[in-house]
Amino acid sequence: MSVYRTHVLLPVDEGTAQAGVFEVKRRLEKELKARKLQDEIKVLESGSVGIVGKGVILAVYPDRMYYFNVSEDDVVRIIEEHLLKGRVVAGLNHAPIAAATAATAAKKDAKVGLTREQRRVVLDKAWTVDPESIDEVIAAGGYKGLEKIFTEKITPEAVIEEIKNSGLRGRGGAGFPTGMKWEFTRKASGTEKYVICNADEGEPGTFKDRLILEGDPHRLIEAMTIAAYAIGAGRGFIYIRGEYELSIERLRKAIAQANEYGLLGKNILESGFSFMLEIRKGAGAYVCGEETALIESLEGKRGNPRVKPPYPVTNGLWQKPTAVNNVETLANIPAIISNGAGWFRKIGTDKCPGTKVFTILGHVEYPGLVETEMGTPLREIIFGYGGGIKGGKKFKAALLGGAAGVFLPEKLLDVKMDYESLKENKAVLGSGAVLVMDEGTSIVDMLFSIAKFFAHESCGQCVPCRVGTHQILDIIYRVRQGRGREGDLETMLGLAEAMFRSSLCPLGQSLVMPVKSALENFKEEFTLAISHAEKP
Amino acid sequence: MKRDKILKQYEASGDNLLAILHDIQDASAEHYLDDASLRAAADYLKLPYSFVYGVASFYTMYSLEPRGKNLIRICQSPPCHLLGASTISRELMRLLGIGFGATTPDKLFTLEMTSCLGVCGVAPAMMVNGRVYGNLTRERIGGIIEDLRRVK
Amino acid sequence: MSEMVTINIDGRDIQAAKGENLLKVARDNGFDIPGLCFYEKITPTGDCRLCMVKIEGRPGMVASCLVKVEAGMKVTAFDAQLEETRKMLADVLLSEHNDDCITCERDGDCQIQDLAFRYGLDTPKRTFASIWKEIPQAPDSTAPVLFYDSSKCIKCERCVKSCFEIQGKGVLSMAQRGIHSHVVAGTGQWSGSECDGCGECVQACPVGALMEKPVYGGKLKKKDVQRKVVTTCPYCGVGCQLELWIKDEKIAKVKGFDSVPNFGACCVKGRFGLDFVQSPDRLTKPLVRKEGKLVESTWDEALDLVARKLGAIKKEHGPAALAGLSSAKCTNEENFVFQKFVRAAFGSNNVDHCARLCHASTVAGLARSFGSGAMTNSIAELENAEVILVTGSNTTETHPVIATRIKKAVLFHGAKLIVIDPRRIDLVNYAEKYGGLWLRQKNGSDVAWANGMMNVIITEKLLAEEFVKTRTEDFDALKKVVSNFTPEKVEKITGIPAAQLQAAAHLYAKAACASIVYSMGITQHTTGTDNVMSMANLAMLTGNLGKESAGVNPLRGQNNVQGACDMGALPNVFPGYQAVTDAALREKFEKAWNVKLDDKVGLTVVEIMHQAAAGKIKGLYIMGENPMVSDPDLGHVKQALEKLDFLVVQDIFLTETAQLADVVLPATSFAEKQGTFTNTERRSLWVEKAVPAPGEARIDWEVIRDVSTRMGYRMEYNSLEDIVNEVNKLVPQYAGITYARLMRGDKLQWPCPNPEHPGTKFLHRDKFTRGLGKFFAIDYIPPAEWPDEKYPFLLSTGRLLYHYHTGSMSRRTVALPQYVPGPFMEMHAADMKRLGIASGEQVKVSSRRGSIVTEARESGRVDTGSVFITFHFAEAAANLLTNDAFDPIAKIPEFKVAACQIEKINP
Ligand SMILES: Nc1nc2c(c(=O)[nH]1)N[C@H]1C(S)=C(S)[C@@H](COP(=O)(O)OP(=O)(O)OC[C@H]3O[C@@H](n4cnc5c(=O)[nH]c(N)nc54)[C@H](O)[C@@H]3O)O[C@H]1N2
Ligand SMILES: Nc1nc2c(c(=O)[nH]1)N[C@H]1C(S)=C(S)[C@@H](COP(=O)(O)OP(=O)(O)OC[C@H]3O[C@@H](n4cnc5c(=O)[nH]c(N)nc54)[C@H](O)[C@@H]3O)O[C@H]1N2
Ligand SMILES: Cc1cc2nc3c(=O)[nH]c(=O)nc-3n(C[C@H](O)[C@H](O)[C@H](O)COP(=O)(O)O)c2cc1C
Ligand code: SF4
Ligand code: SF4
Ligand code: SF4
Ligand code: SF4
Ligand code: SF4
Ligand code: FES
Ligand code: FES
Ligand SMILES: [Mo]
Repeated sequence: MSVYRTHVLLPVDEGTAQAGVFEVKRRLEKELKARKLQDEIKVLESGSVGIVGKGVILAVYPDRMYYFNVSEDDVVRIIEEHLLKGRVVAGLNHAPIAAATAATAAKKDAKVGLTREQRRVVLDKAWTVDPESIDEVIAAGGYKGLEKIFTEKITPEAVIEEIKNSGLRGRGGAGFPTGMKWEFTRKASGTEKYVICNADEGEPGTFKDRLILEGDPHRLIEAMTIAAYAIGAGRGFIYIRGEYELSIERLRKAIAQANEYGLLGKNILESGFSFMLEIRKGAGAYVCGEETALIESLEGKRGNPRVKPPYPVTNGLWQKPTAVNNVETLANIPAIISNGAGWFRKIGTDKCPGTKVFTILGHVEYPGLVETEMGTPLREIIFGYGGGIKGGKKFKAALLGGAAGVFLPEKLLDVKMDYESLKENKAVLGSGAVLVMDEGTSIVDMLFSIAKFFAHESCGQCVPCRVGTHQILDIIYRVRQGRGREGDLETMLGLAEAMFRSSLCPLGQSLVMPVKSALENFKEEFTLAISHAEKP
Repeated sequence: MKRDKILKQYEASGDNLLAILHDIQDASAEHYLDDASLRAAADYLKLPYSFVYGVASFYTMYSLEPRGKNLIRICQSPPCHLLGASTISRELMRLLGIGFGATTPDKLFTLEMTSCLGVCGVAPAMMVNGRVYGNLTRERIGGIIEDLRRVK
Repeated sequence: MSEMVTINIDGRDIQAAKGENLLKVARDNGFDIPGLCFYEKITPTGDCRLCMVKIEGRPGMVASCLVKVEAGMKVTAFDAQLEETRKMLADVLLSEHNDDCITCERDGDCQIQDLAFRYGLDTPKRTFASIWKEIPQAPDSTAPVLFYDSSKCIKCERCVKSCFEIQGKGVLSMAQRGIHSHVVAGTGQWSGSECDGCGECVQACPVGALMEKPVYGGKLKKKDVQRKVVTTCPYCGVGCQLELWIKDEKIAKVKGFDSVPNFGACCVKGRFGLDFVQSPDRLTKPLVRKEGKLVESTWDEALDLVARKLGAIKKEHGPAALAGLSSAKCTNEENFVFQKFVRAAFGSNNVDHCARLCHASTVAGLARSFGSGAMTNSIAELENAEVILVTGSNTTETHPVIATRIKKAVLFHGAKLIVIDPRRIDLVNYAEKYGGLWLRQKNGSDVAWANGMMNVIITEKLLAEEFVKTRTEDFDALKKVVSNFTPEKVEKITGIPAAQLQAAAHLYAKAACASIVYSMGITQHTTGTDNVMSMANLAMLTGNLGKESAGVNPLRGQNNVQGACDMGALPNVFPGYQAVTDAALREKFEKAWNVKLDDKVGLTVVEIMHQAAAGKIKGLYIMGENPMVSDPDLGHVKQALEKLDFLVVQDIFLTETAQLADVVLPATSFAEKQGTFTNTERRSLWVEKAVPAPGEARIDWEVIRDVSTRMGYRMEYNSLEDIVNEVNKLVPQYAGITYARLMRGDKLQWPCPNPEHPGTKFLHRDKFTRGLGKFFAIDYIPPAEWPDEKYPFLLSTGRLLYHYHTGSMSRRTVALPQYVPGPFMEMHAADMKRLGIASGEQVKVSSRRGSIVTEARESGRVDTGSVFITFHFAEAAANLLTNDAFDPIAKIPEFKVAACQIEKINP
């Protein structure tokens, strides 16, 4: 591998692809070649940087400089000015190049926006390396954790111990300690075991897993191999939602490369340990994110959640012990193994060590994604990274954790974003989605949208959820239309609570959270809607 | 014949059903799974027909009805809703003259609603044949539809 | 028995078996916890959520139907919150339900109706608006026997699971999702599915969503049911217990009854095929031939005529000129009386019945090998066999409820299935998909593959040496013959690849308990007895006898063919297989019956026909058989029957045979009389009168009694009980199956030597009936006729699920002909292409004996060069083609192999 003086990174994701990143790349390569710079400056595609709505993004390394809204026509100027002369192309022609900001510049440089300093663990390599080149990934420290295990002959038990000590908790929503899950699976009887990566990511407002998959698929492969080694699995599956075509393509390539490099497949790193990893595509069903529904789906069935207990750790895929972990959870593993549990524990809070990737959406200036320490106050996420409310309007509410989330009012803006603190405030971290609503938002309308989502995504197996979601939708639809009736709110809440008590799986149990929090925190809006309803 | 080739790529094991259905549907000009395909998949995997039908009808990405050349799936989940998905939806229905789940008579467009597509950063968003269109506005929709119409 | 533990429900201590279903325990103890999806026969689904309870130590509420009882469990079944939640669920559920009870057949017999009533959910009191009308519905009425109304479906999945877990089929699934979910068959339509109409799903449905089509007449509400009668199915040898719902003295509905042997299950014929009973075609008056035509007469006239004519023949030509065909459709008691009638009134042993065409080779073969010729085990044991070898039995179609056991063994208990059959029958799927094997042999090569398997087993020392040494004899002779049958040689004879044969031998020999199941594919050959003894050899060699779930299990075909044999409707034995040639035994019967009995073995069915054609048999009495369709080489049978001086047919319909008779006597069907049928597992089952006899139809035994008396041999049976008592006295196997026990509902398996005996589950436990099991060294002999240049196709005959034998009953039903309206021939696509025949086209099929015209249908079941025709359809009677060459020992004809040619009709 030759050594380049400069790397030009072009993050590729759905957004940048649409904005023309490939055209920019082609032009860049052409122009560099014309200047015989191709052996000095390397152009590569990288994973998404989690900045959205800013067109084609171009980053220059090691200069740590971003250009947004880059068009083909800007390429020559960037080469001439920046790459040859080392000057930021700023003042030249302002219009197309909106901003150029150092990615990890000191905080004083950037107080707001997603380019402000983050604490990146799982997204560590996501915009610095070509995700489709295993060489680069390895050069940048990829597969170090796996290597460490085999060179230092760390036992599976010790791996599990390390993960337990790290305090890592599942990032898929429930926050279950990962080390414990692995231990249960390892100790479950049977020799055939599986690891599954839950990459179904269907929670509205969530796309963090996609960015990890697109930006650093090798990290996931390394993590799953470690997981398989720890629990004693020979086969693993990445269940990924069908829409994530780019992720699937990148994962395919990454798996092929890892197999070729002996980092996956038979006799990994000559250790005698073998692990076969496959990708399975979902086909459009939110409920398949629920681990047992996911397993059913993986088996080729309808995505009906199973009754728990028994849990997947003993009766998972094909009734064999199975560890199901979220993408982000797994993405933490290599770093924990490489740097040790102690290192990990220094990040985040006591009970929730590590970082969390949040997606910031809705009425904010900078919608997108940030990875920051657990326990970061909500206010900082919304007003710091998110740049505050769009158009200078006032904050009204934040829906935390996706559709199965909770409406938080302004008075809770300072809540710390970690499992414990949120729980104390009757809220949930969920998938880490933060949907911000400004003063003009109708909570009634938002609750309607949520009910519609649940009604659409209920698997239909059990009565409370199948019919209950529709009845709630019916009521809220009426209320929203100005046809609400006395008692509707009580009925709705009563039903949501009954659904919580009686639904077969967490999907039906969780509609109560948005309903209850909306009614608790924004009651007037609902009563107003009903009292203004046309009376027959 | 093409169908047989797809089937043969997979081991005849039930867990491959979803993948097989994906591939067959992707190979279909009308983006759907016809009766013969369901039966072929069932026969190949030795599954009851109803089982395959049950699976195919469970997942929203599969269709049991022929669909148009351009499959438009517009997200209506809360984040997109907040940023105006319903306005976009209405505009789409107006422009295409069809409701959700329907196909235009010229078989150019099928309109479907979908839950979150995982691109909420550019909400409101929709997908046309796997390609994402984000930051939609009522104004932009017309142009997008026009572009799609033009591509032959 | 599992351990008993104490649990506490709502403050009351209760004893329950550990691991038992909590909801069931609670309900059994009087806690009326609601719940719609729970159905004891299937695994719990837990989706109605009505049975929620609280259990100390567990968070929230749990569905009790999903909980297994554990010691010390403290359960709250009822409290305000639970009831409020349940009421809410019921309310919600009703909003999805189209409750138009006024016209619903399930009114008064409906679990959601009961639920609404229980929680006082009168329409105005419901909280939730009715939404079912807004939901797109997916009703389906394309199946001939049932319809699905999705607007009444509560999505409990009982039907889906019943079809899979009880019937082993899995035809149904839920489709769509959420509020749109509904039940589906096929790819959206019942008619295009694999559904075979067994109705298990209908029976499982707790509401009016899945309903029987009114094949028995109009719609039926439970309150209009006059009475329910439990009886035994008249079709096949499984002997399903059925509950007949009677309205206006007619069968209005049929349900599977929950007891041995079927435990509630049944097949399409038992459930939807009993309307032949009330067919307008039923014979209601005796018919007498006058001037060539059959005209109605009185019983007196008809009986007198019969007695006079038969008496005259006897007088003129001697007893040997008379013969009788008894009936495997009739009860034990009727068969007993009939054979006694032939033996005592005719004075000959010329009595036989369809067993001759069926399992005569089994009776002969197994009697030689083991000492008794019946299923060694009971039906239920199949479910626990490790390996099941099915050969020459199309079990799913011909013994459907036994097939459910086999399927369940494979699906849920890890059993491996070996199917050895020339046709790709349904069970092949269960073999191939679940780690078993399908061996496709050439027809008539069964001795060869059996010897081949034994060759492998002996060579590889997989035999049960101890068993062979202590329990059998003549092993050396067997070993010698078998040594010639190397897998390679067997491959040449049978077409079964050597490796497959070896694999099958390993699988079978290594199992701790392996059961052989066979039927007509083994018996209906000129080597039928050899084939049967080969099965016996195979089982003895591997020690698979005298224990549970192992054994040799010939599936007896007719509802009472086992009983007809047991009752001595055979030319060589008195009731109880007591040889007519044995002087001591003969004396016993002579004493009991007070008559001199013939000491010579009588004629068999095929021999009777031959002798009639030859003019030696002059008078024939046929009770409940239809040889004009069911006997081989019909052209010849017709000649024979027409040659007779006098033919009496006693039947329930004017069959093809009856049309040739001089006197036709109208009999009552199973539904109009009492008695017993002995099913294939040697179990005596009660038949109960359900409806009145049509017209003047009379009970078979009463008619026989009267004819006998009029012929001079007086029979004095005043009741069925009298006959049963006599059977108890004369038939050792039935000595303990007394009238009192039958009345009590006992369903006993013979041998049952005394009134205290519990019956015998499996035979040959410590010793064989004949002492030691005997190996027979058997060489391979090819079938009597084989395809050649002139007749290039191999013709095999057999059955379909939807029809029964000569169609006399099944074709007179509403439902069954909808599945299969008429005759057809299964043919391989390649052959059809070669001959330029399109599927559905009429073709002419000819053999050396005759020809028929039938529809050719492309089929994935038969191999190239073979065709398959059923004998259900007289208009294209397979038996015009079949060969009446028979097995020298059992005299069974070779129904399974003949040669034929096929011509396009319009070239
Ligand atoms: N629906 C229905 N059920 C019935 C009956 C009915 O008429 N209709 N009849 C009842 C009666 S009386 C009987 S006896 C039973 C019969 O029940 P079965 O014996 O199961 O029925 P068949 O269709 O005669 O043939 C059985 C199988 O033998 C196979 N076979 C053909 N040739 C050979 C051969 O050379 N060797 C071997 N090993 N197999 C071969 C055929 O492919 C077929 O699968 O069914 C009973 N049940
Ligand atoms: N080609 C070919 N031919 C075959 C076979 C084959 O596999 N292939 N199989 C053979 C076998 S195994 C069998 S068992 C035979 C069956 O041959 P059959 O016994 O001749 O056939 P079934 O149609 O059952 O005839 C029974 C008759 O009894 C009448 N019946 C029903 N109930 C009663 C009753 O209560 N009282 C009276 N008196 N009559 C009643 C019916 O109406 C019917 O006419 O067919 C044989 N023929
Ligand atoms: C309705 C529903 C949807 C879910 N969707 C996802 C998902 O998209 N991705 C995910 O990782 N976990 C999802 N979960 C959580 C999973 O069931 C499971 O807890 C998780 O995959 C475990 O991984 P973790 O321990 O690493 O968090 C969902 C749960 C429910 C009830
Ligand atoms: S709660 Fe909803 S998603 Fe979960 S099993 Fe019940 S119907 Fe299905
Ligand atoms: S299914 Fe039950 S509740 Fe529904 S209409 Fe019929 S009887 Fe009434
Ligand atoms: S009738 Fe029998 S085979 Fe048909 S769907 Fe119902 S249970 Fe299954
Ligand atoms: S048809 Fe009947 S048994 Fe089947 S799901 Fe509906 S209500 Fe339940
Ligand atoms: S399996 Fe046999 S006995 Fe049972 S219902 Fe069907 S035909 Fe009658
Ligand atoms: S909410 Fe529309 S894409 Fe996620
Ligand atoms: S009876 Fe237990 S959930 Fe339906
Ligand atoms: Mo038979």
